[in-house]
Amino acid sequence: MTPLQDATPKPPKYPADLQASMILPKQRASPASSLASLPYRRSNASLHKLFESTASLSGSRPSSGTATPTASAVPGSVFSPGSRQNGTGTPAPLPPGLSDEYRTLIQRAFVPHVAVLADAETEELIRGKGLEGGLLQLLRPFGESVSGKITIRDSVGAGKSYEDFGVRFIGVNDGLVPGRSSDLRADAAGGQGESGRASSSSTRPRRTGGDVAQVEELVNRHLQYSEFNTQGMVPDYLNQGIQTAQSDSTSSPFYTLYLRRLLSSLPVVPHETFAHPVAGIIAISSRNPNPIEELRRLYNRQHDGDLRLPQWVENDYLRYYVLIHDEDTGDIAKSNQTFDTMKRHFGLHCHLLRLKSQQCIPSDDDSVRLPTCEWMSAAEELSEIQRRETTDDITDPDPYLPDSDMTAIRTFVRELVAQSVVPNMERAVSTWNEQVLARRRGLSGRFMSLSKRWTPFGSSRNSSSPAISSNSNYDSLQGFYRPDAPEALMRKLADYCFMLRDWKLALSTYDILRTDFNNDKAWRHYAGAAEMAAMSALMATGSLSSKTRTENIDAWIEAASYSYTDRSRSAAPYYALRTLAIGLELLRLRGSLAADDAARWASRILETGLVGAVGTALFTERVSACYAIRTGLGTLKLGSRRRKAAFWAVMAAESWWRLDKAVQAEKCVDAAMRLYGTNTETEGGAVRLPFPQMQHFIDDLRQQILGLRLTNKGFDDGDDDDDDDAGAEQSLEVEEATETLDASPRAHRKSLIGGAVPAMDVGPRSPVKERSSRDDVGRRTDQFE
Amino acid sequence: MSYAFTIFSPTDTPLFTHEFGTSRSGGDGTPRFTTAERTLTPFIQHSTLDIVEEVQWGPSSTSGSAPMYLKHIDKYQNNFLSCWVTGANVRFVLLTRPRDEVLGLGAGGAGGGGGVRGSLAGGRATAAAGNVYNPTSPATEEAVKNFFVDVYEVWLKTVMNPFFHAGKGDVVKSPVFRARVAAAAKKYL
Repeated sequence: MTPLQDATPKPPKYPADLQASMILPKQRASPASSLASLPYRRSNASLHKLFESTASLSGSRPSSGTATPTASAVPGSVFSPGSRQNGTGTPAPLPPGLSDEYRTLIQRAFVPHVAVLADAETEELIRGKGLEGGLLQLLRPFGESVSGKITIRDSVGAGKSYEDFGVRFIGVNDGLVPGRSSDLRADAAGGQGESGRASSSSTRPRRTGGDVAQVEELVNRHLQYSEFNTQGMVPDYLNQGIQTAQSDSTSSPFYTLYLRRLLSSLPVVPHETFAHPVAGIIAISSRNPNPIEELRRLYNRQHDGDLRLPQWVENDYLRYYVLIHDEDTGDIAKSNQTFDTMKRHFGLHCHLLRLKSQQCIPSDDDSVRLPTCEWMSAAEELSEIQRRETTDDITDPDPYLPDSDMTAIRTFVRELVAQSVVPNMERAVSTWNEQVLARRRGLSGRFMSLSKRWTPFGSSRNSSSPAISSNSNYDSLQGFYRPDAPEALMRKLADYCFMLRDWKLALSTYDILRTDFNNDKAWRHYAGAAEMAAMSALMATGSLSSKTRTENIDAWIEAASYSYTDRSRSAAPYYALRTLAIGLELLRLRGSLAADDAARWASRILETGLVGAVGTALFTERVSACYAIRTGLGTLKLGSRRRKAAFWAVMAAESWWRLDKAVQAEKCVDAAMRLYGTNTETEGGAVRLPFPQMQHFIDDLRQQILGLRLTNKGFDDGDDDDDDDAGAEQSLEVEEATETLDASPRAHRKSLIGGAVPAMDVGPRSPVKERSSRDDVGRRTDQFE
Repeated sequence: MSYAFTIFSPTDTPLFTHEFGTSRSGGDGTPRFTTAERTLTPFIQHSTLDIVEEVQWGPSSTSGSAPMYLKHIDKYQNNFLSCWVTGANVRFVLLTRPRDEVLGLGAGGAGGGGGVRGSLAGGRATAAAGNVYNPTSPATEEAVKNFFVDVYEVWLKTVMNPFFHAGKGDVVKSPVFRARVAAAAKKYL
């Protein structure tokens, strides 16, 4: 219906993968037996278990708690209390209502990054524990939320404690994508300074986010999984749907997932420093014969050797030295001695981490499952899904650790963050604030920037060689500021403030930077500063007058998205999408008046085609959600956006249906009907739409969805007739299809479970299957069953 | 350009619907909605009532008086909506769908550089050349207003019929009314 849908075609190989993972060899025999075997599958415990484990694997929440009782290894974070426990692929939303969910999510997306570098012995030791990824894999989950409160002092000296502070552990060269760094400057004619360097990282597994297509594919997988597993196995999706339908109807878990993966693993780029390491861990093992030399060697490799980051990344960040002691074979006295030497050589930023070297299995006494990363990149999660789909064994592939290890690591991370990273950042902020920002803000700084702007031969700025002739620090050929330039330092200062949640200072700094970058014609930097200025203004908890909102924030978001999507000067659609998505979420939290703006940004995303098919559906849903929270005044509900919300919900339902996502589509139709029904008179429970065409369209859509749903389930609708009943009540026109559903009451279901093959009347449903557009689905389902 | 005109009762029931095309600049007066667009039209028109209500009761742009003609108030994708509110809170909603070429979407693309800036994902839609359809241009507003005024006149005659209750959702069936609306459309749009 809308021309927006087919921006990205569905990856054609996907269904094949899925069915490969879902096929049970026993049931592949013949199409006829597929139906017959359904009840059997339900009743047989072992098979069910097998299927469940397959399902939870492809659901890819590696910590899916359905299989094992030890899932809750880490106390539920503030953000998603249930996300580690439920067996779904996606985090559960907070209690409905206008929750802080996305604000917290955004807050937790921009956190300090800590690079991890370990010597060969350490990696070997940890690989011996069953973690292929080495130290990085071991540490990553623990960085995501540091246990206990972290107190951060802001620029005026007031301390504030945060429960949910975290850091992101990254590999030394993570975040550098060769394709990305070259496309940064694809049209800037030459100046490929760092592309050679970046290409060295092309072979490593991609821990870099920022790829919208991959995010889409991942969410699509989760959707597919939920689509095929709604019956009983994963009740969460359905329950959530019903639960949120009552009051909020807004935040779908998939949208949360989409947003989270969008913000995961920010790429290392010149125009923002969030992904630049704030600190680096250099770890050696106690098995190493000469530890101090090894540490020095690693440091040198990282500082100016082969592991050095591109030249626009500040290289003198904090180094943290870790000695990993092997509890099982090592000698603690010797390790202590080495540790003392380390402290003497490198100062206070050292830690002795005591780990057991033996592999731990789930049946061990105090074994705890390694918590999963919430913030891995989409590519990583995809490859994880694929890995798990291809492995045959039904055992839990997650590594287990002894409890003592977990405690040790948690203590280590807490010490690292609370005693080194955060104080170091605070110090840097105050130093730069005094030395760089104050100077820029002061009288001389203003003169400086003025004189820069009004050079006598000011026209040379836009001539062919602007970099040298003008006295700006911007290297316009290669498109970055040197890390010691005042602009770069100020950007870093602002980013640090943002990460330390000092929104005020961040905002004022970004605002200064905005004008500076504008004068330098550093467009991408300018976009970044405008984006973050808007974000920090919106993140600040104080109330905004609607005037500031419309005058500043809208202009900033507009400027950022404009500059990011500027095709003639290298487009960065990912960043534009990020700007708009974050902006819309934060605006939406600002209450009903800002909701219009939020909806406007959401529809901007759709109009500019920043997202693919899945994203289109998700953001359409989001527009509806934005309008839905705008409630009117008084009894007449003047100024509400009920009809708009309903309209967009219908659109979302249609897009979901196009993507063969029946469950989602149904949720949207229900939401739309609820919205349409709030003011109009209801006759016998059914909402009559004003236009007969509208009614006809909705009924048609419902019928299609129902057919799709049945097809997706392989004509197996035993478990959720209550859900379908609710749908059937509202769509009285869909007689043919609903009748069959209504005709399978609970008594009938009992016989299904009982194991006797019931005479399932496929007759009325078969027309659905015959529709040519659904043919592929039908085929897929046949094999799937 | 194609138009869809609907009269909504105060309870959001459509009382009269009429689709037509432009008769200006060689148009033959037949609507050129695609099937998908035609399906969407009622949804768009219905959803725009939210904005109508807000504009209607919100702070007035013209000082003091509450205008019946609310001008261009809403937009969905390429559909522009104008509205007229009668004294009895009956809403006239006119949906305008300009031709693709007027929106700068056409394959031929006016002006140089149109080919370079395709509709690649992530790209910014170019602000096309000068002759883009502008719903707030004085000429457009005046034309729509004249149309609305004519329709309003006919509508007044219709509601004066003692057997017709717009508030009860009586649909206008009179062929004369339809002919008059079509005439107004032909004259002004």
